[in-house]
Amino acid sequence: MSLACREQELDALLAGELAPADAERVRAHTESCAACTHALAWLKLERGWMTQRARRGPARPALSFDALEARLAAAPVAVARHSERATPRRSDWSYRGVMALGAAAAVAFIFFGVVQVRPVNSPEELWSQEVLASGLVQVCVDPSGEAVAALEDRFSACLIASPAWPAD
Amino acid sequence: MFAARDDAPEAQDGERTLLRRARTGDPVAFRLLFERHSPAVWRFLKDTFRDESAADEATQETFVRAHGRLATLRDEDRLASWLLGIARLVFLETRRARGVHLDVAGEENEGLVEAVLPTPTPEDLLLDRETEALLAEALGHLREERRSALLLRIDHGLPYEEIAQVMGWSLPKVKNEIHRARLQLRERLAPHVGGRP
Repeated sequence: MSLACREQELDALLAGELAPADAERVRAHTESCAACTHALAWLKLERGWMTQRARRGPARPALSFDALEARLAAAPVAVARHSERATPRRSDWSYRGVMALGAAAAVAFIFFGVVQVRPVNSPEELWSQEVLASGLVQVCVDPSGEAVAALEDRFSACLIASPAWPAD
Repeated sequence: MFAARDDAPEAQDGERTLLRRARTGDPVAFRLLFERHSPAVWRFLKDTFRDESAADEATQETFVRAHGRLATLRDEDRLASWLLGIARLVFLETRRARGVHLDVAGEENEGLVEAVLPTPTPEDLLLDRETEALLAEALGHLREERRSALLLRIDHGLPYEEIAQVMGWSLPKVKNEIHRARLQLRERLAPHVGGRP
C-alpha cells in the first residue's frame, strides 16, 4: 500500500469514518508499523493545531448577526431598485433599439439554423458535382459498362474520366 | 473532533430542526445557524483570501446568499459543506471581479518528493502564537486550490466526497491534492517540529 493510501486510512481513522472492524485493523497495524506511527503523529498534530486555531477565532464584525440582519433587510430593496432600473420607460428609445436588434438577431439565428445556406456555385460547378455524385453511387451499386453508359446518356457527357470508374 | 462540524446525532437532529425552522422564515433559527457556522465560514475565507477584511465581506455575502437559497439545500446533513461551497463561489467571484489584487498564487512544487521528516512529539501539539504564525505562513505557500482542499479536510472535517463537490473535482484528484498539500505543509513545518530548540 502506498504512503498516500495508508495515510488516507489513518486520516479516516482519526475522523471516525472507518467501520469498527476496519478501525480495529488499522489501529492494530499502526501499533506495529513505524511508518504509520510516524504518519499518525503528523495527522494528529495537524488536527490538533487546527482545533486550537478554530477555538481562537477572533471577534470580527462580520460574525455579528446584527450586521448580517441589516444586510438582509437591505437586500430586497436592492432587488427592487434593480428591477426598477431594468424596466424601460416608453420614451427610452435606446432600450427599444436594443430590443429591435435582439429580435433581428433572433430571427436571423432561426433562419440560418433552419435553412441550409450553400455557397453559390457556377452552373458548370453544380453540374459536375451532381454528375460525380450520381456516378459514384451508380458505379458503386452497379459497376458495369451499362451503368456508365446510362449515366452518360442521362447527362450527355463522357464519364470515362470519372475517378470512380475503374480503367479497362 | 472538528471545529466546524458537530457530528453527534443529537447535534445533527438539532441542526435539522433549526434548518427546517429557518426555511419557514424563522429568524431566530437562522440566527442560531449563523452563529454556529459563521466562524468556520469566516476562517475558511480568511485562509482562502489571506485577508481578514475580504473574509469579513465574503462571510456576510455567503450568508445573504444562503438565506435566500435555504430551500434549495437538499441534504440537511450537509449544511456545513453547502455553506463552504457558497463561500468558495463568493471567493472565486470576488477574485474574478478584483483581478490580480486578490490572486493568491502559491507554489506549484509539482516535483514533490516524500522527504524524511521528524516525528512530532507531544510538546509540539501546543499551538502557541509563534507556531500559529508558522502554520499560517506554511499554508500560504500552498496553491490556493490545494490549500482550500486541505483545509476543508483537516480544519472543517469534510469527507472527501463533499470536498469533491465543493471544489468541483473528481474524488481521486481530491485525494491526490490533499496528499500533496500535506507533504508540502510538513516539509515547511519540519524544521520546527520534533525536538525543536
